Amino acid sequence: MKVKRFLVWGLLLVLSFAIIGCSSSETSKENTDKEGSDAEKVSEKVELTMYSWRPEDREMYEKAIKKFQEKHPEISIDFQPYESTEYNTILSNALVSGDGPDILQLRPYSGATTIADNNYLLPLDDLTGIENINKEYLDAAKGSDGKVYGVPLSLNSGVIFYNKEIFEKQGIKVPKTWDEFMTVCEKLKKNDIIPIAQSGRAAYLLSMTHAVIGPDAYGHNDFVDKIVSGDANLEDPKFVESVQRMKDLEKFFPKDFIALEDNDAQTLFYTGQAAMYINGDYRLATIEGTAPDMSIGVIPGFAAEDGGELAVTTWVDGSYAAAKNTKHPEEAKLFMEFLASKEFGQIFTDESDRLSAINGVTPKHPIVKEISAAAAKHSTPYLMLVHFGEGEPTTKTTFENALQGMYLGKLTVEGVIDEAQKNADRAAKE
Amino acid sequence: MPELKPSSLIEVSAKPARKTFNARKHLAHLFLLPAALLYGTFQLFPLITAVINSFYSWKGFSRDSFIGLQNFITLFTESPYKETFVNAFKHNWTFFFVNVCSELVMAYILALIINSRLKGKEFFKTIFFLPKLLSVIVIGFLFSLILNPTTGALNLFLKSVGLDFLAHPWLGSTDTALITIILINSWAGVGFSMLIFLASLQSIDKEIFEAAKIDGASTLKTIFTITIPMTMNAIMTMTILTFIGCFETFELIYAMQGSSGGPYYSTDVLGTYFYRLAFGSVEGGQAIGLGSAIAVVLFLIIACSTAILMIYFKRKDFER
Repeated sequence: MKVKRFLVWGLLLVLSFAIIGCSSSETSKENTDKEGSDAEKVSEKVELTMYSWRPEDREMYEKAIKKFQEKHPEISIDFQPYESTEYNTILSNALVSGDGPDILQLRPYSGATTIADNNYLLPLDDLTGIENINKEYLDAAKGSDGKVYGVPLSLNSGVIFYNKEIFEKQGIKVPKTWDEFMTVCEKLKKNDIIPIAQSGRAAYLLSMTHAVIGPDAYGHNDFVDKIVSGDANLEDPKFVESVQRMKDLEKFFPKDFIALEDNDAQTLFYTGQAAMYINGDYRLATIEGTAPDMSIGVIPGFAAEDGGELAVTTWVDGSYAAAKNTKHPEEAKLFMEFLASKEFGQIFTDESDRLSAINGVTPKHPIVKEISAAAAKHSTPYLMLVHFGEGEPTTKTTFENALQGMYLGKLTVEGVIDEAQKNADRAAKE
Repeated sequence: MPELKPSSLIEVSAKPARKTFNARKHLAHLFLLPAALLYGTFQLFPLITAVINSFYSWKGFSRDSFIGLQNFITLFTESPYKETFVNAFKHNWTFFFVNVCSELVMAYILALIINSRLKGKEFFKTIFFLPKLLSVIVIGFLFSLILNPTTGALNLFLKSVGLDFLAHPWLGSTDTALITIILINSWAGVGFSMLIFLASLQSIDKEIFEAAKIDGASTLKTIFTITIPMTMNAIMTMTILTFIGCFETFELIYAMQGSSGGPYYSTDVLGTYFYRLAFGSVEGGQAIGLGSAIAVVLFLIIACSTAILMIYFKRKDFER
C-alpha cells in the first residue's frame, strides 16, 4: 500500500511539474514575442535567413550582403549554406515544417517547379530587375502556372578544357567541328596521350559529356524546340547519332574509366597524361586552384559545319526565391531586387569566376569572358537537364545510367535510346 | 513441534509479500516508460508514418490523396519499377549468401583458431575487431582508394608481383562490383561475429572435449558433433542478424557506388532503391509514396523471413 501511495504521489508531482513547466514556458514565449515586436517598432531591424547549397560561396555573399546593407542597414542577412548533397532534404523538411528560410536557393527547372507548385514561394513576375534576365533563363525558376518564382543566379556552360601546352607541342589546332575533334583525338592517341580525361563512376558526368558533344549532332535548338512541341522524340535519328558519338569516343577515354572518379580524371588532366577534360565551366576555379601553372584553353562547343556558328551548352545552375510564409515579405523582396541587379551580378562574377544570369555583366576572367561572349551569341540548353528532368526516376538519370551500361557492354546505342524514351513516355503520363 | 512455527509464519507473510512484488512490477514498468517513449518516437512513429505514407499519392513532398494499394501495385507491375525491384532484391539475397560464407564461416573458423591454444590470442582478437571501430563511410572511402584502377594499392601490388592479369577495375565492372563490396562488408564485420562465436565456444564445458578425445574422436568430428551443435544458439543469432543486416544494407554501397548502385545498377539493393525513390537525386525525381511502399515491403520481408528463420532454428534446437 505504501508503495502504491508513493507512486500516486510521485506521478502527481511529476505531472504538476510538467504543467508548471508548460505554462511557464508559454508565458515566457509570449513575453519574448511582445518584446520582439516592440523592438521591431523601435529600430525596425529585420533579419532574413538565406539557404544555399554552396558553402564555398560564403565570402562572395559576405561581400554582397555588405554592399546591400549600405543601402538597407536595417536588414541583415543570415547566410546558411548546407552541403549540396543534403540540401534538398534539409530544404524540404524546413519548408514542410513551416519554419523555413526567408530566402532560398532553388534547384533549376523541375526542382524549382516542384517547390513552386507546392505553394511555398512568392511570385516575382513584377520584381524590379527581372526584365534584365533572358526569358529562357527564367524558365529555370517557373511554376506550372507559368509565373516566375526565382531570380536565376548563375549560368553553367558545358565546355571542353584543353591543355594548351600539349596542343602546341603536338602541333594541334583547336578543333571547331566534330570531325576536326575526332582527328585531334586520333592524333593524341597515336602519340600515347589520353585524348579525354573522362570518368564514369558518377554517371552524371557521362550525360554532361553528351551535353557538350551532342548538340551539333542533333541540330542544336531546332531539335530542342521540336522536343518541347512534341514533334520529335529521342528515337529521332539525329539524337541517335549524338549517342553514337558517345560510343565512338569510348576509345579516346582512359582505360577502365567507368571505375574512375572525377578526381582521378582531373589528375590525369593536371599531370598532362590526358589532353582534354569535359565538364561544366565551374570546374575552372578548381583547375586553376590545383594546377596554377597549367596553361588551359577552352573549346566552348562545336559548329555543325566548318565556318558555321558554334553553340554553347548553357543552363541555369540555381535561382533565389522568397518563401511565401516569410514574416518580412517587403524586406525579402528588397533583397531579391538586389539579387536581380547588375551590381550583384558583377560581384558574383568577379568573386567566383562564373557566369551571371543577369544581362550586361562582363566577367573579368579571360576564359569566363570568352565562354560568356560565345554563349551570348548562340547558346543551347542542356537538353537532358532542362527538358528531361521529370519523372521518378528522371529520364536524365535513366539516360546516364544507360550510358554507363553501354560502356560496360550491357546495352547497345539503340538500347540506351530505348530505355531513355520509355522513361520519358512514362514520365509524361505521370 | 518447534518446526511448525516457521512454516506457519511463511504462510502468514505470503500474502503481503506477493502484493509488494506486484507493486514492484508496476514500478518497473514506470521505469521503462522513458525508454518506451523514446522507442515510440523514433522507431514506431516513423514506421507507422511510412505505412500511412505508402497509401497516399504525393505531389513533390506534400501528401496528396489516399490511393489505397496503388503504390504497391505500381511497384510490382510497372516498368521500370518492377525490374529495378527484382534486380535489387536479387542483390540483397546475393549479399546475404555471400556474406554468410565470407563473414560467418570465416568468423567461426577464426573463433575456433583463437579458442585453441594459440599464443597472442588477445592480440588477434583486437586486430580482427578493429575494422568494426571504423565508420562505414571511412571504410568506403579507404577501399575506394585501395581499389582505384590506376592508383589503387591493390592493382599496383598485383602488377608489381607480376599478376597483371588479375588487376581489374574492381568497382567499375558489373561482374565484380557487388562481390567486392560484400567482401569489404565481411571484412568490417568479421571481428564482431568472431567475438560472439568465441564467447559461445568458451562456454562449452571443457570436459566434453576431453571425453571426446579419450573416445578417440578426430578434430573434425569433434567440431561437427560437439562444437557446432553446442554453439547453435550463437549461430542462429548471428545468421538472423546477418540476414537483417544484409537486407537493410545501404551505407557502404551508398558511400562507394552512390545512390544509383552503379555501375549500371549492378550494386543496387533495396536500401539504395528506397533512397532514390524517397529522396530523389539533386535534380528531383522524388516519389515519397513509392519510397514508403518499398520501406514497408522491406520491413515485411525482414520481419517474415526473420520469423521463419527463428522458427526453423527453434525447431532444430528442439529436435536436438
